[in-house]
Amino acid sequence: MEQRDDWHLTQIVKHDLGRGDPFAAAVRATRMPMVITDPSQPDNPIIFCNEAFQTLTGYDREEIIGRNCRFLQGPNTDSATVSEIRQAIAQGTNIEIDILNYRKDGSTFWNALYLSPVRDDNGTIQFFFASQLDVSSRIDAQAEINRRHDEIEGEVERRTAQLNDALEAKTLLLHEVDHRVKNNLTMIGSLLRLQARTINDPPISAKIEAMLERIDALATVHRRLYQSEDVSRFDIGAFTANLVSDVVGASGRDDLVVSVDVEPIEVPSGHAASLGLVLNEILTNAIKHGFAAGRSGALSVSARKADGHATIAIADDGPGMSETQVDGLGRILITRLSRQVGAQAAWEAAHPGTQVRITFPVEL
Amino acid sequence: MQRPRPPLSVLIVEDEALLAMDIEAMIEDIGHHVVAEAASLFDVEALSDSIAPHLAFVDIQLARQTSGIDVARLITKRWPDTFIVFVTANPKKIPDDFAGGHGVIPKPFSRSGLKSAIRYIEEGVCDPPPTSPQPSSFLASPAFAASWTG
Repeated sequence: MEQRDDWHLTQIVKHDLGRGDPFAAAVRATRMPMVITDPSQPDNPIIFCNEAFQTLTGYDREEIIGRNCRFLQGPNTDSATVSEIRQAIAQGTNIEIDILNYRKDGSTFWNALYLSPVRDDNGTIQFFFASQLDVSSRIDAQAEINRRHDEIEGEVERRTAQLNDALEAKTLLLHEVDHRVKNNLTMIGSLLRLQARTINDPPISAKIEAMLERIDALATVHRRLYQSEDVSRFDIGAFTANLVSDVVGASGRDDLVVSVDVEPIEVPSGHAASLGLVLNEILTNAIKHGFAAGRSGALSVSARKADGHATIAIADDGPGMSETQVDGLGRILITRLSRQVGAQAAWEAAHPGTQVRITFPVEL
Repeated sequence: MQRPRPPLSVLIVEDEALLAMDIEAMIEDIGHHVVAEAASLFDVEALSDSIAPHLAFVDIQLARQTSGIDVARLITKRWPDTFIVFVTANPKKIPDDFAGGHGVIPKPFSRSGLKSAIRYIEEGVCDPPPTSPQPSSFLASPAFAASWTG
């Protein structure tokens, strides 16, 4: 038998009228609070309530019978919910809704109300049948969940704001420090340049010039630091191209054919200054020795990475030279600073000229 | 407009004495002439109208809590034909419109960087557009770069 046909059962089951009616007995005895109202009487009063309803609401039968259901409402009952129920009654439709009701002692409970019209053979509404269920714990739990949710969201918002503030402060500080480092480097450069102007002794001038070139290389490193989003990485490939144009420009040599072929190679920012100085020594030496005494020629520089290693190669087509021809401090800088960042510098005869290859491991 | 011819007259607005001396020496080395130095906006206000520099190098953070951005606006008003180049360790502080400025040389600069920038600017001022490739030490303002390529 289909569920929707089960009302026929009440016609099949034989029973005596009155107290012997098993359905009436069931309604009276069930733990589900229930009422029946009579819409044919003025204000649709309750004409039956079971014991469970009395237990739930705290009212006696005498206090209940004859009253409209709205006596269970109170100041905090939602008026929109009330009008939904009123509309369902007026239209003679079922309604299932949670409403805040008040007990006799003034305490509240959440009532999962189910209200349904009972029609006669002609379809006229004879009664309304209503069942109640105290779902306060469910509603309270939901309210608690909502409250916690709001609380956590508020906390997340607060923490996010704090983190954003901290990040902003950190960025500001980084910019400030960056700015000061650049200004100090500029001043160091200016000091050396001003000093260099006063020296007329060529060997000493040459040493000051070499020192200026090193300061300039460091300056180029610092101009390029913090330019990307990731302040912890430094593109040594782009830097190499930049340095070549600076060093060649500084040499005043416009008779060199320079070819530069680099790809982006990221190294930790902490390695940038050391690698920058190493490259500067090799480049300035290539120009000084490879193209000495005004000899023109070709300088080619490449930066490539493969198999977890990067190689920066600097080649001239000069007379060829060995590492031992690099002057004292320059050689020491190349050796020590390369070792410091895990790089190796190799000098190879290139026939003609010299090629220096700097190799170091990189993350792919 | 009458294009200036080298040597150019140059105004240096820089509050760090060492840098001002250094820049002045390099400008004179190249063969241009420094007509005035200023360390703050007030110093620039106090300059005579008659100096009308061809070129101004302007630091952003200046003495007495003044800003090179305001200096650039003042120069644009007083000497509309002056070519303004910011020289700063903080190029990000320059507004999008460059406050009427024509470009920037980021600090720290090198001698060759500054010299090649000056040579490039000289070409742009005296005989635009410049024929040398733009050196990495100089960035033209967007509006100015457009006027050269157009």
